This record gives sequence, C-alpha cells and structure tokens, in this order.
Amino acid sequence: MFDITLLWEVRGLILQGFWNTLWICFTGCLLALSLGLVLAALRLANPRLFGYPVACYVELCRGTPLLILLFLLYYGGPSIGLTLSASVAGVMGLGLYGAGYFAEIYRGGFKSIPKGQLEAARMLGISRWHALTHIQIPQMARLIVPPGTNQLIILVKESALISIISVDDLTKNATTIVNQTFQVIEPYLAVALLYWLMIELIARGGYALEKRLANRQPRPASQQGATPHAHG
Amino acid sequence: MPMADTLSPSSPPRQKSIVEAHGISKQFGDLEVLTDIDFSLAPSEVVCVIGPSGSGKSTLLRCLAFLEPYDHGSVYIDGQLLGYEDRNGKRVRTSEKRVDDVRAPVGMVFQHFHLWPHRTALENVTEALRLVNGLSRQEADTEGMAMLEQVGLSDRAGHFPESLSGGQKQRVAIARALAMKPRVMFFDEPTSALDPELVGEVLDVMKKLAADGMTMVIVTHEMGFAANVANRVIFMDQGRVVESGPPATLFRQPKSERLQQFLNTWRERNID
Ligand SMILES: Nc1ncnc2c1ncn2[C@@H]1O[C@H](COP(=O)(O)OP(=O)(O)O)[C@@H](O)[C@H]1O
Ligand SMILES: [Mg+2]
Repeated sequence: MFDITLLWEVRGLILQGFWNTLWICFTGCLLALSLGLVLAALRLANPRLFGYPVACYVELCRGTPLLILLFLLYYGGPSIGLTLSASVAGVMGLGLYGAGYFAEIYRGGFKSIPKGQLEAARMLGISRWHALTHIQIPQMARLIVPPGTNQLIILVKESALISIISVDDLTKNATTIVNQTFQVIEPYLAVALLYWLMIELIARGGYALEKRLANRQPRPASQQGATPHAHG
Repeated sequence: MPMADTLSPSSPPRQKSIVEAHGISKQFGDLEVLTDIDFSLAPSEVVCVIGPSGSGKSTLLRCLAFLEPYDHGSVYIDGQLLGYEDRNGKRVRTSEKRVDDVRAPVGMVFQHFHLWPHRTALENVTEALRLVNGLSRQEADTEGMAMLEQVGLSDRAGHFPESLSGGQKQRVAIARALAMKPRVMFFDEPTSALDPELVGEVLDVMKKLAADGMTMVIVTHEMGFAANVANRVIFMDQGRVVESGPPATLFRQPKSERLQQFLNTWRERNID
C-alpha cells in the first residue's frame, strides 16, 4: 500500500517545492521581522504621527486572511501597475502580513521595560543609543523570543497558501504529484514531514536562543566577598 | 547677558547656588501642577520638600532635573540654563546632549529604585562609569566596589536586584548615582516604597551623605528625618510653595493653616 519508491521517482518535484518554500519563507520572514521592527520603532518614536497608522496596519493584518492579501497582491497588483511574479507576491504577502504581528511583538517588548529604568539611565548621562543597546534590547530580547518563534512557525505553515496563487511550493507540487500518480497519502505525508522539519528547526533555534538569553550568569565580581548568584 | 533676559524675569543667579529656579510653572494638559516656583540651593544645603500627595513635589524635582520640561521660568544648574536656550529671541529646547551636560552634576534617586534587573548590583553601579566615563571594566569595578562599600553592600555585588531587599535596592540605586560624582542629589520619596523596618538603613546612608557635605533635595514623608537632617524644609500644596524655613520653625510654628492641617494629620496617623 505505502509505496516509498514512488517518492523517489518524484523527488525532483518534491525538492523543487521544498526549495521554493524554503527561500520564500526565509525571505518573507526576514521582511516581516525587519518591517515589523521599523513599524514598532516608528510608533514608539513618534506616537502622535505614527501611532494611528501603524495601529490600523496591525489591525488589518490581524483582521484579514493572508489569502486575501495574496490575491490582492498577485491578481490585483497589475491593475495598479504592480505586476509581480507569483513567488515575489508570495514573499511580499508573507512579509507584509507577518510585519503586523511582529510590530506588536516588538512593541510589547519595548513597553514591558518600565520608563523609570530609562529615566535612571538618562540621569546618569547614558545616551539614548546606549540605553537602547545596553538596557532595552537585552531585556526585551528575552521576552520577544518565545512569541517571535511562534509567529515564525505560523508564517511557515501559512505559506502553504501561496500554492493557491500558483507558486510551485511544497504544497502545490505535492498536489501535482497526487494528480499525476493518483497516490494521495505518500506525497502529502512526505510534504508534511518536510514542513515539520522546518518548523522543528525554528522551534529548536528559538528555544536555544531563549535559554542562552535567560541563562546569563553574572560575571564573577572582581573582588572577594561577592557571592555569585545564579539568575533564574 | 541678553540670553537670560529674554528667558526669565530675573537675571541669572549671582550668588553661588548649585540649583536655582525662577518662576517655574508646569501644566499637564489643563491641570496646572506647578505655579510660579522659586527655588535655590546652596552648596552642602539639605532641603526637604514635604506636602500632601498630588501637591507637585515629584513634578518639581523632575522639572529641576528636566525629566519633565518646565513650561515657564528657568532652572539653572551651576549657573547654566537647563533645557532651553535663546535662539533669535525665541526660547527653544536644547539638544539632549546639552541637557545631559548641564545636569551632569545632578544625581537622582527614585521612589521605585529603577535598577536594571538584568544587571547585578555592581553592574548597575558600573554601567554609566563604563558607557559615559569610558572606564575599563577593571577600573569601573574598583570604583563600583568602593561605591557599594559606601552604602554597606560590597557583599552583595554579584547579586541581581530581584534577590535584594527593598532597602538594599535603594542603597544600590544611591551607589549608582554617587558613582557619577554628583555635586547635588535629588531624592524622590526614597523610603516610601519600603517596608517600615527597612526605612532606617536607607535614611542612615542619606544622613551620612549629609554629614559628608553632600547637597541634597529630598522629597519625603519622614518628618523626623526632615527635622533632624534638613537645613530647610519646604511645604508645598497645590503646586505652590506655601511655607519654607528651618525645620524647627516650620514644624513648631507653622504659619499657614494648610501646614497646620498637614502636620496635624501626620501626627494623628503616627500616634496610633
Ligand atoms: N505625567 C503626568 N501627566 C498628567 N498628570 C500628571 C503627571 N504627573 C503628575 N501629574 C499630576 O500632577 C499632580 C502632581 O503630581 P506629583 O508631582 O506626582 O505630586 P506629588 O509628588 O506631590 O504627590 C497630580 O495631580 C498628578 O496627578
Ligand atoms: Mg510624588
């Protein structure tokens, strides 16, 4: 019943699909992570000017299906002079969509640091840049890694939707194989395994990063009498 | 001095005061929180600011440090106007760098400590020494340990704030401010967030500072401390300085009804 040799025969299509899913997800996630940071930074730097537009953008991402955004980009793009290849539409769709979520994750991280800590820094003459790099980012990193990892996983899974705008990704190629061979189980299982592999890698990466950030031991004090103390 | 004339009704400070404020006022939206406050602080003077909650004590301290920009009037630190400058006859905000430079002589201690939780006690003290003064890690550690010693916490150097008591946290915060060698220290209710049994250790550190000649402005509800340590007490109510003078005079012969009321309320609370 389960025909493993079939998979070997169609390995070309599977690998092509895997590669396409891989690079589109990678680029899309990168775009989401960086655009999200820009949005969060704009909102924090000038809430009066950017607060409302960014909030609207975030709501739009949360409130509409990714598939609609992909349709708008791919099929609607040409009517406003934006002709995109299916893969580029896929990257942009994932990036724009994910950016809304990441903007909120970053903002949550920044907001969780009490303003007083920054005032204390300012009163000591520490510049805004140093406060950002030495006080804000190290603290917020710990907080945003778990939800950030989660969001990356969601984006990778949602990327299956780009098959509907005709990108030859894992999902679309699996369907192609099913249509050619009339075997359903093997191709979809193989593809599921590859998605799982990508997601497992992201999850483990996130977990390792989280542990690294949380396990920071105090450096030994340079004088006797200071008791090193493990930070929980 | 054309600059100062366009900025304040009075001329810049003549006598040698470290902090001087003329007619400062501050509004939050429609709420006038400070009204026409004059203030001056001579070297080695210890001033306690008292008054009911919401009377503007914190806001005054924050305006004197430019953590809140004041709306009108002027604040001088060591004779230098803080936060504003005159450009073509108009008053404009100075750069943040300039604000940092002018208020460099001021150290601040907050009610809620505001230690950085991802840094140990020693690192909290050495952070600015390294980032601002450019000391090496070793130089900063030596200096930082001396500061912790001064507040009696050298044995807690490697501890993170979360494992310190409130009193210890506040002493680390004081050491952190002292590390930058301030000429004047502002304290905003430094013991109000502490359990009663921990108040003493913080007040002791502050008494020692006063005895060593540190110039200080202390917002506090510790009347006993104010009576013993302050050279001058300022009573604020509804954004104005209602009365000020030596603690003996102020506490024994309050002139205004509002201060009498305030002191009575305080006595009633502290008798039972
Ligand atoms: N950032 C702010 N925005 C709006 N109102 C504020 C702000 N800070 C203080 N206030 C108001 O200003 C008044 C004085 O506050 P504050 O200076 O904290 O008084 P105190 O320290 O004497 O208790 C209060 O009515 C308070 O609600
Ligand atoms: Mg207050």
